[in-house]
Amino acid sequence: MEKEKGSRRFWVLLVVLMLALGAVVAGCGGDDEEQSSGGGSGQDTSQEATGPIRLAVLSDCEGAFAPFFEADNAGVNVPFINRGAKAAGAKPSDGLTGAKAGGRDIEVVGYGCSDDTADKAIEETRRLMEQEKADIMVGPLSGDEGIAVANYAKDHPEKTFINGTSGAQDATLKVNTPNFFRFHGDGAQWAAGLGDYAYNELGWRTAAIIGDDYSFPYTSLAGFVAEFCAIGGKVTKRIWPALGEKDYSSFISQIPRDVDGLMVGIGGTGLVSFIKQYRQQRGDIDPQKIIGNNFWPDPVILKEIGSQINGAYTAQPTAPDATTPEATEYVANIEKAYGKEVAGLAPSVFLYNYYNGTEALIKALDQVKGDISGGQKALQAALAKTSVQGAYGNITLDDTRNGVADNFVAKIVRKGGAYTAETVSRIPTVEQTFAGFFTPETPAPDRSNPKCEKGETPPWVGKAEEVTPGS
Amino acid sequence: MTDTRRTTWIGTGVAVALLALAPLIFTEYFVSVILTQALWLGVAAASLIFLSGYAGMVSLGQVGIYGVAGFVFANLVAADGGLDVALSPYLAVVLAVAAAVLVGLVFGAVACRSEGIYFLMITLAFSVIIYYFFSQVTQLSGFGGVNSVELPGLIGDPGADPVPLFYVSLAASALIYAGIRYLVRTPFGLTLQGIRDEPARMRALGYNVGLHKTLAFGVGALVAGVAGVLSVFYNQRISPGSVNISQAIDVLVVAVVGGLYRLEGAWIGALVFGLIDNYSREYTPEIGTVLGPDRFNTLIGIVFLLIVLLSPGGLVGIWEQLRARSRGVGRTRMAGLDADVTVGDTPAATAPAPALKEGGPRR
Amino acid sequence: MGRGQLGDWAPRAALVAVGVIVVGWLAIKAADDIGTFVTVTLNGVTLAALFFVVASGFTLIFGLMRVVNMAHGSFYLLGGWIAFTIQDKAFREQPEGLGFDLTPDSDLQFSLAGWVVPLILACLAIAVVGLLLQQLLLRWNQGQDLRQALITIAVSVIAADQMLAHFGGVTQEIQPPSGWPTSVNLGVEGTRFGFFRLVVVLGAAIVIGLLLYVVIRRTKFGMIVRAGVDDRQMVSALGINVQLVFAGAFIIGALLAGFGGVLGGTMIALQPGEDTAFLLNSLIVVIIGGMGSLGGAAIGALALGLVDAYGDVYLQFGSQDLTNYSILLTFALLVAVLAVRPLGLFGRPA
Repeated sequence: MEKEKGSRRFWVLLVVLMLALGAVVAGCGGDDEEQSSGGGSGQDTSQEATGPIRLAVLSDCEGAFAPFFEADNAGVNVPFINRGAKAAGAKPSDGLTGAKAGGRDIEVVGYGCSDDTADKAIEETRRLMEQEKADIMVGPLSGDEGIAVANYAKDHPEKTFINGTSGAQDATLKVNTPNFFRFHGDGAQWAAGLGDYAYNELGWRTAAIIGDDYSFPYTSLAGFVAEFCAIGGKVTKRIWPALGEKDYSSFISQIPRDVDGLMVGIGGTGLVSFIKQYRQQRGDIDPQKIIGNNFWPDPVILKEIGSQINGAYTAQPTAPDATTPEATEYVANIEKAYGKEVAGLAPSVFLYNYYNGTEALIKALDQVKGDISGGQKALQAALAKTSVQGAYGNITLDDTRNGVADNFVAKIVRKGGAYTAETVSRIPTVEQTFAGFFTPETPAPDRSNPKCEKGETPPWVGKAEEVTPGS
Repeated sequence: MTDTRRTTWIGTGVAVALLALAPLIFTEYFVSVILTQALWLGVAAASLIFLSGYAGMVSLGQVGIYGVAGFVFANLVAADGGLDVALSPYLAVVLAVAAAVLVGLVFGAVACRSEGIYFLMITLAFSVIIYYFFSQVTQLSGFGGVNSVELPGLIGDPGADPVPLFYVSLAASALIYAGIRYLVRTPFGLTLQGIRDEPARMRALGYNVGLHKTLAFGVGALVAGVAGVLSVFYNQRISPGSVNISQAIDVLVVAVVGGLYRLEGAWIGALVFGLIDNYSREYTPEIGTVLGPDRFNTLIGIVFLLIVLLSPGGLVGIWEQLRARSRGVGRTRMAGLDADVTVGDTPAATAPAPALKEGGPRR
Repeated sequence: MGRGQLGDWAPRAALVAVGVIVVGWLAIKAADDIGTFVTVTLNGVTLAALFFVVASGFTLIFGLMRVVNMAHGSFYLLGGWIAFTIQDKAFREQPEGLGFDLTPDSDLQFSLAGWVVPLILACLAIAVVGLLLQQLLLRWNQGQDLRQALITIAVSVIAADQMLAHFGGVTQEIQPPSGWPTSVNLGVEGTRFGFFRLVVVLGAAIVIGLLLYVVIRRTKFGMIVRAGVDDRQMVSALGINVQLVFAGAFIIGALLAGFGGVLGGTMIALQPGEDTAFLLNSLIVVIIGGMGSLGGAAIGALALGLVDAYGDVYLQFGSQDLTNYSILLTFALLVAVLAVRPLGLFGRPA
């Protein structure tokens, strides 16, 4: 019995010891970042007026889009470097010194690393926004992450979130929160022009689609379905391999042999496996019968499988071969900051969208003179009206704070020993709703939505402006 | 015996009172991210420890069950994604836990025929089934998880003020701790411990071993269900990734680190886990690519490995051994989990610990 | 402990009924499109081959030593990564800087040695790793199954994180020799199938299966292993150096996992998460087939591979597409087998 009392006391003491330990650790560790305890959740006013603005960056360093991690971070760093900041190291994730906007210092509190899943993204968001006390976040990267972060933003209206490159439609159209901004189109907008091309140029009347089983491919392929079906095409089969699934053999078996064409929306490194396995089972890729979404023209993908998708058509929001002054200056700035290799990724949606989002942020901060007081309302109002002259076209926001921008149809070609995407036509001012096809009330894109129905043709169909190579 | 019971209540009361003062001592961030998480994660681990310590069944299926509770709750209230049935959150909590218990009883009935390692693997399979089920049935799991879940009014908005959630978690933890300690002294609890130690004898005595094990699983499921609901309160969202195999391993790690046969170990382990998770980033030295701020999993894995190798009783076991040695007790005696039945748990370094043999603490 | 005739009979009858329905369904689908059916069946069989290679190691280790090696998946992935790294560093130029050399990969050629040498080295490396694990962490606590399971879980957690740190989070593939054809023509309605999957993986599984069978059934080592599976203490009492046999068996088991990793890395891909995936696969195969039974592992692998492949394609009823639920089907299979035989099809109690 005495032993029992003893053991009880032991664990009570143990608990107290643990708490004391925790208190010491918290006390020591939290010194620089502690706000007044037990108080409200507002910002420290003195910091708002003159201290640095704390910026968080979130992208993926694991999962299908891991190879673009440094490219994403470069996209955030270079706009500051253009304005006088200095890179703190050879890698973009090494950080910045001397970054300024709106007359105040900008301190990057962390380059967060997620793995393409909403859970990790939220974990990183909470760490950056709550533990590192960031004021503004640029990110995240992937579809599901965007929806989750937009919902987080809705619950934290006093902070501002600028989307990195997440292309899930719902993040703006459905969640629609005043502090989440997307300075680029969603995945559906990035596929604009392909439905038109497939129907009118390639002569498809029926099509099958295949994409990873999560929000971004749903959105991306929804853009194709919306356009293709609106003008009379029929999508007869939709195939959705699980994200992270690398064995595509069974899914390839499901692709019907009697459709006019296949639209592929598999992303990142999965695309490499898919193409290889497709060739094993169905033979070489026929460019008249297979088209791809914006992942195809990506430099990292083209390096791996360029020869296997040579001649195929695709669409993306950038024009890597543009020679306009804006485009050349954009690439040159990146090269100056981080060298040729990163500059080679400049036309990828990853770098481009993080870059434009940061540009918009700096513009808005300049406009409000760095004022992030009062729950950042002034900044958010300014951002809603900001437009960005991107390297490949002008970007404005619609009333759900989603980007309205041009899109480009391109063809994979071999040039000078490497494979690249040659722009074929520009699709002007693509907006999120596809002429009312998508509204806040329509079901979110998923395995079986949107339904393939003939409807009002989006305004840009038939208005594709031909682009001569090298213009 | 009355003495012990009083001491237990006093002990629990003291601990709870101390913790209740936490919001006044620590920062909001600490209360919210470290303490509250330690509390609900501790409840999840407690469900595992209850089963392993008192029923002799080490189950990796607790996370699956807590997923069931979490998803049922998230779907029944107003939220973004999922079924959005928009019932009252209080009612949803009850239904969620009830669903978890139901699933737990079914799993228990299937799994109770197996023992030891087979049991471990079957329960792991259960967790994985639940995970895949929710990933595929996207009507229930939303397309990026179920977000912005409506919480009971009592809790308010944890983003703005984490203190009410902290107190709710504290209350839940205290109730569950007290509840389990009470339960194991009831005839049911005693039978369970008998089955843990000598199943054949209990069967010979006429006890329905399978039924008792199934019911024990049900109780474990109830605790896991509470943990699941608390986790949704904490995150305000749930997605299949919240209940994947990594999470199941994490709960196992928490339980083992705390002490697989000691109920207090659940919360101690969870606290240690949370502390390492949050503070390892700042304080871990970088040793090439082997160690560094991002290598949280390596750190926790090493701690886990060390505990399993050196002290099967977990951190609580280490504490008790140190205490016993410092008091000069000659040969360290068994430290009891409970007044009535002594549980075998030897200092690990010298002898193989029967505590971790298949089937339970005593051979 | 008999449940009476009816209790055993009912689940078996149910299973037979289900089996008949499934076979009928497949026959209909096959008649519909024989080319696709052949492809899908081969998908399943080649996948089963890979599962068998990995699971055979797992079942060997468990059958003999009662060690549930939860780090088996880590052996798989590590083997793949080591082979990939060797192939990458030794058999092609490594670009400088951030590694974004943009010259087309598809232009690179790999010789036969460029695949076989990494394979051999990776297998050897994993054999050593396995031996170290067994000697340092598992040898001194034999008999404590749960503890060993926890130890190997800990090792797998650490290993997964370290592999992420050293090999990165980017998915990679091991390249087969360029001299080998990409696909073979099957002659059935012009269908083709990947050469590597069909010839190399399936061939390797068959060869390994036969080799293991011969070793277990016909050699002295195998005899000791079989005796050890049946009665460990007796074997030891007979004066045989059980520790040596255990070490040998563990080496073979680990080696098989590593070999599987190279095969899988070439056939599918290498990425974080594959370790957990293949551990789960091995667990399912071995639970279905029965711990410690090689034949059971083969049957279990076939069951899993075929259910997976057929489910992915044929789980459609009219307009209802349930193929995304095929993974649940594999678990349903697991539960069904366990309901009838709690120790697996060919398992024996400890």
